[in-house]
Amino acid sequence: MNDGNGRRIGVYICHCGSNIAATVDVEAVAQFAAQLLGVVVTRTYKYMCSDPGQEIIKQDIRELGLNRVVVASCSPLMHEATFRIACEEAGLNRFLFQMANIREHCSWVHKDRWQATEKAKDLVAGAVRRVWHHRPMVERRVPVRPEALVVGGGIAGIEAALRLADAGKKVYLVEREPTIGGHMAKFDKTFPTLDCAACILTPKMVSVARHPNIELLSYSEVEEVSGVVGDFRVKVRRKARYIDEEKCTGCGQCAQVCPLEVPNEFEESLGSRRAIYRPFPQAVPGAYVIDKRGMAPCRSGCPAGVHTQGYITLIAQRRFAEAAALLRRDLPLPSACGRVCYHPCEEHCERSQLDEPVAICALKRFVSDWALEHLAEVEPLPVRSSEPVAVIGSGPAGLACANELAHRGYRVTVFERAPKAGGMLRYGIPAYRLPESILDKELAYLEKLGIEIRTNQSIHSAVALRREGYRAVFISTGAPLGRRLGIPGEELVGVVDALEFLRNVKSGSVSQLQGTVAVIGGGNSAMDAARTARRLGADQVVVVYRRSRAEMPAHDWEVAEAEAEGVRFEFLSAPLRIEGTDGKVEQLVCQRMKLGDPDASGRRRPVAIPGSEYALPVSTVIPAIGQQTDLGHLASELELTSDGQIQVDPLTLATSMAGVFAGGDVVTGPATVVDAFAAGKQAAESIDRFLQGKDLRAGRERKPPIAHPPHLTDHAPRPRVKPEELPPEKRVTSFTEIVGTLTEDQAVAEAARCLRCGVCAECLECVQQCEAGAIDHNQQDEIREIAVGTIIIATGFKLFDPSKIVRYGYGRLKNVIHALQFERLTHASGPTAGQLLTTEGKPPQAVAIIHCVGSRDVNYHEYCSRVCCMYSLKFAHLVKEKTGAEVYNLYIDVRAPGKGYEEFYKRLLHEGVHFVRGKAAEVTDVAQSPQEEGKLVVVCEDTLLGITRRIPVDMVILSPALEPAEGAAEVARKFSLSCAQGEFFLERHPKLAPVETASDGIFIAGACCGPKDIPDSVAQGAAAAACALALMDRGVVVLEPITAEIDAERCSGCKVCIASCPFSAITFDTTREVSVVQEELCKGCGTCVAACPSGVTKQKGFEDIQIFAELEGILQ
Amino acid sequence: MSTTVTSNIGHQLLEAVYRLPHGKRILECLQCGTCSASCPSAGAMEYGPREVIAALRAGILDRVLNTRTVWLCVSCYACTVRCPAGIPFTDVMYELKRLEAEKGLVRHNPGAAMAHAFAEVVDRHGRNAEPKLLMKFYLRTNPLRALAQLPLALRLLWRGRMKPQAETIRDIEALRKMLATIPENNHS
Repeated sequence: MNDGNGRRIGVYICHCGSNIAATVDVEAVAQFAAQLLGVVVTRTYKYMCSDPGQEIIKQDIRELGLNRVVVASCSPLMHEATFRIACEEAGLNRFLFQMANIREHCSWVHKDRWQATEKAKDLVAGAVRRVWHHRPMVERRVPVRPEALVVGGGIAGIEAALRLADAGKKVYLVEREPTIGGHMAKFDKTFPTLDCAACILTPKMVSVARHPNIELLSYSEVEEVSGVVGDFRVKVRRKARYIDEEKCTGCGQCAQVCPLEVPNEFEESLGSRRAIYRPFPQAVPGAYVIDKRGMAPCRSGCPAGVHTQGYITLIAQRRFAEAAALLRRDLPLPSACGRVCYHPCEEHCERSQLDEPVAICALKRFVSDWALEHLAEVEPLPVRSSEPVAVIGSGPAGLACANELAHRGYRVTVFERAPKAGGMLRYGIPAYRLPESILDKELAYLEKLGIEIRTNQSIHSAVALRREGYRAVFISTGAPLGRRLGIPGEELVGVVDALEFLRNVKSGSVSQLQGTVAVIGGGNSAMDAARTARRLGADQVVVVYRRSRAEMPAHDWEVAEAEAEGVRFEFLSAPLRIEGTDGKVEQLVCQRMKLGDPDASGRRRPVAIPGSEYALPVSTVIPAIGQQTDLGHLASELELTSDGQIQVDPLTLATSMAGVFAGGDVVTGPATVVDAFAAGKQAAESIDRFLQGKDLRAGRERKPPIAHPPHLTDHAPRPRVKPEELPPEKRVTSFTEIVGTLTEDQAVAEAARCLRCGVCAECLECVQQCEAGAIDHNQQDEIREIAVGTIIIATGFKLFDPSKIVRYGYGRLKNVIHALQFERLTHASGPTAGQLLTTEGKPPQAVAIIHCVGSRDVNYHEYCSRVCCMYSLKFAHLVKEKTGAEVYNLYIDVRAPGKGYEEFYKRLLHEGVHFVRGKAAEVTDVAQSPQEEGKLVVVCEDTLLGITRRIPVDMVILSPALEPAEGAAEVARKFSLSCAQGEFFLERHPKLAPVETASDGIFIAGACCGPKDIPDSVAQGAAAAACALALMDRGVVVLEPITAEIDAERCSGCKVCIASCPFSAITFDTTREVSVVQEELCKGCGTCVAACPSGVTKQKGFEDIQIFAELEGILQ
Repeated sequence: MSTTVTSNIGHQLLEAVYRLPHGKRILECLQCGTCSASCPSAGAMEYGPREVIAALRAGILDRVLNTRTVWLCVSCYACTVRCPAGIPFTDVMYELKRLEAEKGLVRHNPGAAMAHAFAEVVDRHGRNAEPKLLMKFYLRTNPLRALAQLPLALRLLWRGRMKPQAETIRDIEALRKMLATIPENNHS
């Protein structure tokens, strides 16, 4: 039939031998097609794809002037290119061609001839209607970058990388683990030749390391992939190794001092390794790596960032000196801190989920006290900077700053107004909590370190200090003044502020009290004052607090101890006035309160009850309701807050004056000792940066991730060790310290309770050992961006978890091991140095090897894992060779289809290995006869004999299935690979394109696309490299011009398409206010076409008009 | 030696098994022997489950029908749970029992006699009644052995472990109605 629109269509129906013609009446289809609009010729032919077949088409184009061609034959995957080229050779644009699939979609899936023929007609009609609307198009030619990415450093990835690199291409080899080598590195021997795996693998690994064209990115993972073939952009996360690969010499001294042991995954948990480790001696790169799962929660909970897990781990190993050194580096007064800290670390301790938190504070005290006794002497720290620093105030903040700076090589002078150093620790904390002798010893140690402490020195000007030559000043003068009550009678004799009272007691000017003492306030200072008053002989001590116990700011345990010591509490009571005669206190008049609505602090506001006044006869009133700074002349030099505290930048602690920093109570108002330590260290960092001319802020806000808690189920509950305490009746008679120090054995036992959340304890022992200076515990993950032309995925496999088949006893019965464990057990550098031993340490007399564990099983994996038979034979040989044991292979079928494989099987038969045809039903340790006593019994049917057998053995080796590697689904998503849930990656064609994928330029090799042995993996690695090379050597890739196109005239500029494009191929033209497709980036996925609300985005070759025409043709 | 029988009955047998849910999986049997080694009764069977499947597929029916094997199945389902080919072998056993009973192929087989007696008692009373069940069983198999069991029966009666009178459940009619709704050949 003809038409008036100039369309001249030729339709060609292929018989495909009998593939199509046997089911489809091709002549009927041809007759039908001849009637369609625009069709000028229809022909059928036995093999349209053959040369003569193609020639028919070419001839018709030339002679009949065809301008559209339809071929009804097989899938376009097979021959679309063939016919397109034929069209082009006859002078027709290759895109004026359409294919109708009447084989895969029709003849192969239908039985009824009439129905199949009708369907074929519909498909042809659709193709004819569609091709009507085709437009000539020009293929895109895109340059291909000469760099390649190989993901996975197992044998397949290594092979691919080496081939590419040898061909002169730059290769990025990304490996998730700290070393390349993959599973093969764990193997002892390889089947069937029994050559040593390491001997053939390590030379290749070394070649990778040495190859100038290979950049090895170990301990790294691909984060994101974008772009198309020829120009992929890949983001690679380089996980922090905490060790400089370049500097590390691999000497291993670090691992010798590392206190932390964890199961060794390279040894399949048969052995242990340190937190700093190298998987195996020939690892590439040879650098060590630190297994740090983040910052331990306890350290993260410590305001001063003390290396808690570090000293706990060292204490557990009785390495007290190292633990103390670590603490002393962190804190200036660790013994004092171990006594007075409110230990927020223990609140964060994950052990509390199991039983009770580790007694971190008590351990700190123990090891610091131990150090005061055993390590009092120290060499002064070397001074490396010529720029002296002044610290005003010798409280915890000032000393922490001085300690930190001294360790960083600065000469520090601490100025103290009082006769003795220590600040609130000395004058504010009673001796029953912190004996002064401890403080004196710790201060003496600090002075020996080289910190100069000048007491009786009042500093009135930071400017003057700087003029004297101090290049930086830290102000930490605290909040030493008590806040006034602001009620009548405060001037009477017998009214003394809590801080002053405590100071007087410490200096000895007050040593006795009589009558009733009223302490006003509910904070820790009030508790200290009340408990001190009890010890000075007061008849009665009453704490007057205007809210209830629940609102008290003092720590619970302080209140409880005060109560135990006989302190009385008057809750919901507020002082109104103090009355007395002759200027001496006689009574305190109070008013009852009730709790109202919450105030700004979240606590309920006390409200006075009218008419509830009452008088308390007292001899002494001690207000403890807050503290204020006492800055004197310094106040005039610096900007202050409305509360009279120094105004600072919260991140850097810099004041309004350059080079002057402030921290501690003078900035925050009264806070805890550990907060003051934290402020001092924070200021020291700022001062160090300031003096070195560095940015004060850079990188300081970033907090390292917190380690995830470990599996609590792995640990048995064990109660926390408690130090000895003075009984309450003995406490009130003296200022003797209440809480004792742990004994050595107690401390070691308590430290062993630590769950080691971070794995690496950050004890920094390795840092001191490393002569190369390669270790940096502050390293961060890095993101590398690379551009490559092609990608090869070789992510390998993992072993099926045999504990899922409970009846085989893995993880439940001793001496039931899996294949990789056996590899390590028999490996010369494995946990037993190659000796084949049971867990009892004896060589086995009988061993069973169970094949098909999780393979060929509808409950787990239906597929045959292909390598298990052969490695099981290898195991049988090795067992026989090393121990002479009886070996039973329990198999369903022995599959040995490879070069030399069947011969190897025969060799094993000659070696006397028993082959029992039958799958093991179960492995049990329940004996039914004396011979089975103490053995593992494998129950199976010997199907060749037709009897059930119970085979007693000493060791059972399971040969588990191979599964896609951990995270394979994630890899598939990132690289747009096809794979069903939990299955191996899909190749483009199982026979003809085994290493190509549906994504152009992305290839797969090795066991990631299916269970595979070493020779096949190597072959695939090389094959993938060849495919990638073909693209890169040609330098250009021809792409279908099926890109999206936006009609600029009608685009509303809504940008919906830009957000929807997975390849970032659409940009916004700000001058014209329209979206524009960058053709070279567009992959033709069509997402934007569907997303465009205006319907002005179309995809070439898949235009709406073409698709609708095809549908109409099929449905007419 | 066994004879190969490609009789009509063999065909019906296979078809009936195929109609079971996942019944066609017997075609995928690996002959691995997991079933036989897992079967607590296999020691007493002439042919274990694996051999029954092989014989069924080969059409060697004298190894499948009228043997002790199918009647010794205690329905523990160990074979079904463990079978790597996913063959519901316990269901296959039931199918074979049904077919044997239907075709009247059951001859002097104590297992079958017990099963029949049990079905009759439950049909009549809605629950089991031991004296009646055993009486029926021994009368059909070996009445003399019933005498040998008498002392045990008396002891059980004496201790109240066994009731002399069969008890019928409260609404036996309701149970009969339910049973009646099940079609004779209930697999779709």
